[in-house]
Amino acid sequence: MKNKLSYFLLVSLFLISLDTVKSQEYYVKSNLENLEIEVGEVFEPSTYAVDENGKITACPNLVYYNKNGALNRDDGISVSRRSGTIRGEEPGNHKVVALCLGLTDGWLGRDFDVKVSYAQAKDLIVKLNSDQVFVGSYVQPSYVITDNYGFTRYDANIKVEPSNDNIQIDALNNIKAIKPGKVTLTFSLDNVQATINLNVVKNPINNLVLSSDLNTARTGDVVTFSTIAYDDKNRIIADLPIVYSYSGESFDKSNTAAAMIRDDGKFVAETAGKYLITATAGQRSTSIPLLVYDRGIQREVINVGTGIVQERHTSDFWVFEGVDNRDYAVSGTWGADGTTYFWDVTDPAQIRKIDSIKVDARTVNDVKVSEDGKISVISREGASNRKNGIVIIDTTNPYEVNIISEYTTNLTGGVHNVFIYENHVYALSNGERFYVINIEDPSNPYEVGMFEIGEKGQAIHDVWVEEGIAYTSNWKHGVYIIDVGNGVAGGSPSNPVVMSNYSYESGAHHATFPFKSKSTGKFYTILGDEIFPQGIDLYSTNETAGFLHFVDFTDIDNPVEVARYELPGHGSHNYWIEDDILYVAMYTGGVRIVDISGELMGDLFRQGREIGHINTGNANGFIPNATMTWGAQLYKGHVFYSDHNGGIGSSKVLPIKPDNSRINEYLDTPRLID
Amino acid sequence: MYRIFIALLFINFCYSQSYYVYVAAESDDTVSVLKFDGDNFEETDKVTVGIMPTENEGPHGITIDPLGKYWYLTLAHGSPNGSLVKYSTENNEPLSKVELGLFPATMQISPKTGLLYAANFNLHGLMRTSTVSVVDPENMVEITKIKTGIMPHGSRISIDGTTHYSVAMMSGELFEIDALDLSVKRILSLDNNSNYRNAMHHSKVKPTWVTPHPNGKKLYIAGNGSDEIFVVDLESFSVEDKLSSGKGPYNLAISPDGKILLATLKSEGAVSIWSLKNNKLLKKIKNTTSIPHGVVISPDNKYAFVSVEGVGGDPGKVDVINLETLSLQGSINVGKQAGGIAFWKIEQ
Repeated sequence: MKNKLSYFLLVSLFLISLDTVKSQEYYVKSNLENLEIEVGEVFEPSTYAVDENGKITACPNLVYYNKNGALNRDDGISVSRRSGTIRGEEPGNHKVVALCLGLTDGWLGRDFDVKVSYAQAKDLIVKLNSDQVFVGSYVQPSYVITDNYGFTRYDANIKVEPSNDNIQIDALNNIKAIKPGKVTLTFSLDNVQATINLNVVKNPINNLVLSSDLNTARTGDVVTFSTIAYDDKNRIIADLPIVYSYSGESFDKSNTAAAMIRDDGKFVAETAGKYLITATAGQRSTSIPLLVYDRGIQREVINVGTGIVQERHTSDFWVFEGVDNRDYAVSGTWGADGTTYFWDVTDPAQIRKIDSIKVDARTVNDVKVSEDGKISVISREGASNRKNGIVIIDTTNPYEVNIISEYTTNLTGGVHNVFIYENHVYALSNGERFYVINIEDPSNPYEVGMFEIGEKGQAIHDVWVEEGIAYTSNWKHGVYIIDVGNGVAGGSPSNPVVMSNYSYESGAHHATFPFKSKSTGKFYTILGDEIFPQGIDLYSTNETAGFLHFVDFTDIDNPVEVARYELPGHGSHNYWIEDDILYVAMYTGGVRIVDISGELMGDLFRQGREIGHINTGNANGFIPNATMTWGAQLYKGHVFYSDHNGGIGSSKVLPIKPDNSRINEYLDTPRLID
Repeated sequence: MYRIFIALLFINFCYSQSYYVYVAAESDDTVSVLKFDGDNFEETDKVTVGIMPTENEGPHGITIDPLGKYWYLTLAHGSPNGSLVKYSTENNEPLSKVELGLFPATMQISPKTGLLYAANFNLHGLMRTSTVSVVDPENMVEITKIKTGIMPHGSRISIDGTTHYSVAMMSGELFEIDALDLSVKRILSLDNNSNYRNAMHHSKVKPTWVTPHPNGKKLYIAGNGSDEIFVVDLESFSVEDKLSSGKGPYNLAISPDGKILLATLKSEGAVSIWSLKNNKLLKKIKNTTSIPHGVVISPDNKYAFVSVEGVGGDPGKVDVINLETLSLQGSINVGKQAGGIAFWKIEQ
């Protein structure tokens, strides 16, 4: 024992001393220390090791890289491992790490602060939309700056000097026309200069007439203001830049009159109140009032029935009419044993589990049913043989479902989501691409096509098909709209053709629902985020975040993000739209029912567009009373849902109750703005 | 008699040792910390991993730094790239994360360079040449990706830390990387595929693991498709022997004293134990559930810990094999699809 203990102590001492000696033995030195380079400049570092006595030793192998920080992204400096050089890419303070490999046992390296600055400007071009400006207006020049390395510079602090006092420059470099007359503006940066001549003229506007398409509105209604400018001979002055602004007072004295107004005169209010809209052109302005009332669309939502899943997490679901004209649902399970449940929901108050099927998987994330109700396709992840793929199920008799076939070719990486459209299954593969599988003969499925966006780091999370057009949700690469049989772009299931794409900054694009507004005729895609800001706890409630982005795709080549639905404190997941009403599963926020009729602009939640909501947690669920709504579907007048922690359920939006109180009577006799 | 009893008790107390291992459950998004004291096997901690509660992120590979301060976990699934996460062994809290390639799997830290080398298995989808990611674990930055073969796996470092080995499952190749200059030095086709990195080769050998012998002279490779264990001579860089392994050898481990080799036999639900003195099979031990995956051996050569996946909703397991008696000594349930396993420490 003594020997053994001594041995143990000796080894421990040796390891400790080895670590201490090792960390003190060498120190990395480099001419990277306090280095300053310019954008575009290439620098060849010289790095070596120094021991405690100051003796310099060469590193057998040197590796440089730019330290990326928490997000592992910093393109400020690029490193060529082949040539051992670094190059400044973006201005700022960056870190370069030098590793000295092979000299000692273990890690030997050091971080160096490297400052990258813009190179001196070589060329400066200034442009103006017009060489004529009205007194009282601001001049907005644009700049093109090219540096000594030929790169375009941004964010440069350009100095502007007028030749006389017809123009005034403020502390923030805003250029305002003050007096009529000619003036020369001199722009300078580093050692380069550019000049432009300007003619300041008297504002010809004698009268501004502001009008709107509505005199009163509800919160969330988009009101369009337009302005016509007349000169002193009552002639219309065309193409004048108009600045719109608003002021207001909320009916609720403890609230702010919050609204949004755009440069094109579109206005939408979030709170009810009295508003004054102002149009300004130079020194001329005019205002008109607008009364905004509460949208007043709230309705009661009641829980009708539940189909509890107590043993495991629930994933996606689908409600459908069977071949016997009864109503059924299918739901998947998550992180479990590959079980899929089938339900009779003909009476939404009495949801009954009628059959189940177990496949070799741990997660059946998605389930879909063909339009005729005969075929269900379920996705597989976590198969023991790692082949995953999809399973095709005969649902002709949902009380006794049978597996027809499974299909795994090219789908071994796990299938997270599927869609069935016109005898084809659109199945995601490994979160990278989707395959199109013909299931005309469901016992012999075969691949007919494949689509991937072709970007570096391409990812896909969901696919939805309507009218021969597929909408894919691709995280940072946003939505792709793809012709898979519509024909508008010559696409087919075997030849998917991209029609359009839109992405947004957060990169959290998780689901897409196409939406043709019945009330306006506009076409939107509604793009949902999925974000878990605090990570994950499988056994309790999680914090969720993210929202729905409303993108106006009416002009498919020029999509414009116009509105959002963001529920404070809760994140979005899957959703459904019918008759200009959105039914959205907001994870911990339950099912939210939202009026999306009319033109859409701004923050829809804050505009009071929410009709009602229901929490879907269940006291008898897998995690009791922990709402985590996965998906929602309107079906024959009921709002069905699946809850990750509880199972499935149905709810009902009740009709509007007549308001017999006198609480809101002032709304019918609104006060005019003073 | 009483004195002898007290003395034995004292000796037993002085000699009692606890063995700690980490095991990842790929379909459960959990990692279990296990303690085995020679008799009892217990789970001392269970760590939920990943950041998306509604996505299975697939913890696959796990390794511990040479000083035992940190453990590193590959998450196979991302959007779509997987990632590497660094945790503290002190409290099992995550410290940092870096994105790697598609399905990052096995990995190891070189004691020479201090860098971590992770094979991007890219197990699923199209047959494409994949890579080994080199990560600086101090800063958790991926320094480079070194191109290897189709479905690289079994990322292992030579004892002196200067050389990295991996095998490409579908192109049937062994890759030798210089861990210092980060370049591929030698490639060996295990089934006479003359066209390196051939995506259309579909190797019959399907190598899934490579492990160097402590003497630095040989490598052992699991031929998962051909049911063989390849013995590679490092000097000539050629196959010098093939052992008939049993069905579906998957992971391998050699005892630190270099005397025995263990192979998990995925298709048999068993572990085979070989003497490396004469390359003879010593024993085959049935696992407690189906699909054995990883295997690690304690530094004192006494025990082997084997992760076993199970199927569907079955729990994963870790089986302990006594390498002195060549018998199953214990087993414990962990999360579903137990895979990556790493030995942490022996505590006196």
